[in-house]
Amino acid sequence: MYKNLKKVRIIFAGLFFLIILASFLHFSSGWGTQWTLKTQFVPSLLAVFAGSALAFILLIVLTLLLGRVYCSFLCPLGILQDIIGRISVAIGKKKGKKKNGGYKKPHNILRYSILGIVGVLFAAGISYPLALLDPYSGFGKIAGQIFGNIELSVTNLLSEIFPSAIYYQQYVRFSLGSFLFALIFFLIIVLMSAFRGRLYCNTICPVGSLLGLISGASLLRPAIKKDMCVRCRACVSECKSNCIDLETKEIDVTRCVACYNCMASCKKGSIILAPVWKKPGSANKAVEAGNTDTSSANAGQDKQEIKESPTRKIESIGRRNALIAMGALGTAMVAKGLLKKETPAGGFSSGGKLGIAPPGAQSITHLKQYCTACHACVAACPNGIIKPAALEYGIDGFMLPTLKYDYKFCAYDCNICSQVCPDGALMPLTIEEKHLTQIGKANFRKDHCIIVKDGTDCGACDEHCPTKAITMQPYKDGLLLPHLNQDICIGCGGCEYVCPATPKAMIVMANAVQTQAIPPKVEKQEKIQVDDFGF
Amino acid sequence: MERRNFLKAALLGSVAGALQMKGIDLKAADKTTVETGNDMVAVMGGEPVPMYRKAIAAMGGMGKYIKKGYKVVVKPNIGWDKKPEFAANTNPELVAAIISDCFAAGASQVTVFDHCCDEWQACYEHSGIAEAARKAGAEVAFAHDEKYYKPVVLPKAVRLKNAKIHESIVDCDAWINVPILKNHGGAKMTVSMKNFMGIVWDRGFFHSNNLQQCIADASTYEKMPVLNIVDAYRIMTQNGPKGKSLDDVQLAKALFISPDIVAVDTAAIRFFSQFRKMDLASVGHIAKGEALHIGTSDLSKLKIERIKM
Repeated sequence: MYKNLKKVRIIFAGLFFLIILASFLHFSSGWGTQWTLKTQFVPSLLAVFAGSALAFILLIVLTLLLGRVYCSFLCPLGILQDIIGRISVAIGKKKGKKKNGGYKKPHNILRYSILGIVGVLFAAGISYPLALLDPYSGFGKIAGQIFGNIELSVTNLLSEIFPSAIYYQQYVRFSLGSFLFALIFFLIIVLMSAFRGRLYCNTICPVGSLLGLISGASLLRPAIKKDMCVRCRACVSECKSNCIDLETKEIDVTRCVACYNCMASCKKGSIILAPVWKKPGSANKAVEAGNTDTSSANAGQDKQEIKESPTRKIESIGRRNALIAMGALGTAMVAKGLLKKETPAGGFSSGGKLGIAPPGAQSITHLKQYCTACHACVAACPNGIIKPAALEYGIDGFMLPTLKYDYKFCAYDCNICSQVCPDGALMPLTIEEKHLTQIGKANFRKDHCIIVKDGTDCGACDEHCPTKAITMQPYKDGLLLPHLNQDICIGCGGCEYVCPATPKAMIVMANAVQTQAIPPKVEKQEKIQVDDFGF
Repeated sequence: MERRNFLKAALLGSVAGALQMKGIDLKAADKTTVETGNDMVAVMGGEPVPMYRKAIAAMGGMGKYIKKGYKVVVKPNIGWDKKPEFAANTNPELVAAIISDCFAAGASQVTVFDHCCDEWQACYEHSGIAEAARKAGAEVAFAHDEKYYKPVVLPKAVRLKNAKIHESIVDCDAWINVPILKNHGGAKMTVSMKNFMGIVWDRGFFHSNNLQQCIADASTYEKMPVLNIVDAYRIMTQNGPKGKSLDDVQLAKALFISPDIVAVDTAAIRFFSQFRKMDLASVGHIAKGEALHIGTSDLSKLKIERIKM
């Protein structure tokens, strides 16, 4: 039974990985798989502040029951590392390379320092370090910038071969800063996972460190039946976390990612998933054999446990650490929740034009607090106008999503970005709410306008304006000139995108705090019936 | 749907044929054409498809314009991400009926496309045109990227001397222009001539180089549409060309058809003017088109059949 857990994990994780990946690729972004992103740990933690704690509670309960199954079953970056590990083993076999590298001591100072720093800053309202290190968001950037651009190149190649079935796409999703970040991050992950399994997860990843601490109190955990184990080291060479110590025959549960490779590799079947209160010490332990001989088994176990007092000590330390970790997490969340209201609205620092946040972001401050730059919105935007920011929001907003109206504009009847965001950084908007969400305001620079400069008709901005914040009003010589009512404008950028003047006569300036636009004017007209052609 | 339309077309064609005492041959639809001598047909008071049937019959049948084996393009207005009742895009039923007629006339292939203003997939889908066209057997072509456009020279043009035109138009044997009648904040009106902007890649050039002149210039393209069929079933009389609500729409129940693009636009604008005053002279591209000899705005010179249903 325990031997099959690995297979279950591989099948589940493989499918789950594909579903998550589908949320980031162009051809599958319309499949509605984005709800699965809400199962991710950091998004679920952030979603608590947006009022939905279900996923977060489930993940904590899952960890308290089974340890870090999140890391092997749900985390796309974890699964990606396993895939890379497999590939490197396949290549390494030819070269006779050793796997993973045996038991290693934990890098406790490093991993808990990173967790502590990220946690304290998070509580203080600075989410940026978390955004950089969150494994899910890191995967999102890799998926969008690297896999997404590979996908684009492949479909564009196919569009040459099947011109009437597959359409060509501009490379508008490419963004140099994010691409380089994703590339470097990806290379680090490749190197770490190819040579040292889950090293990233057990030294750098703050989610891994936190879940590791909580796993110290998990109920079911992999354990070695000590008298059955012959120290063949098969499990050690399979262990991606370097956490099986055959000196003591203990498995470090804070680093174990619940991949169950050890169980599949053990020829003796001596590694099992055991409840923490039943140490699988003696041979006649009743886990698999049934409870025929309860009293003697219990007696034997008691004796064993007394002998194993160091183990018990580790366990109690584990439980204590888990409690401290959960207490600290709770405190951090409460602190963040309290600070939320006190944070000033426009705490940005930007030299140039302020970035326009996607609809539902509420404010740039809110975006900075809750967005982890996973780029799910970037991938989902059907117009490709959501781009990772360079410095539009300041240095602490690097790679956060911002709208660019160079190639397209924000579609009036679209709210996808706000729906796919798993963090609550973009709060979900209905279409009706979206219609009134003012993310910025157009500015009309009359002197640049074609109609004023050339004295010819234009009105391209008016054509594209969905709310009729822009109307064409009599100017001179029978010409009509755009007239802008900023109160009705929602900042969609249709006018800016289409304005044919250089420099543009219509420019949308961001709202640091998104507001409600006044609803478009109702212009009833009498329904007319005519009986004649008129010519 | 396709077969029913085919049968209807065939029936109408054969009735017309019988009136002319000609032989009835369904397979060679061109033989069902009739010499009616009409330069333009205007129909009002009916549903889109019945109005079209009357109109095309009175123009002599589709076989007069589409010959056997032709590669045909039907070019509706699919500019906006709007549902049909908002009258921002051409009526999908009308588009489907025209496509079926083209096939009935022996077309080997019918392609439908538009260079959309809103996000193209949303336009194709929500307008109902992509689905209707596919059901009628047409190919719905991509037109969202410059790669689908080919450079052409417009020697008669004043400003727009070079343009990139969609490959399906450049490569076709005949095309049918199927605009919808709307007011337009920039060009004052959008009908058949303005619908040419959807076959061209660089629309920004029009706006920055005298919009009205460029619209007229585009219509000097040597491969003129064999027919312009103006959908005026629902018309947008304010906030055009995109519109913002159903208040912008009037149920006008009309259709105009003619090979003369200036004439059909003139007629459509004069019809429109009954709903909302529109001075023909302010729609600059009409006069500019006439000056480039692509048609006439003097409707008195033409033989126009007016049909009320």
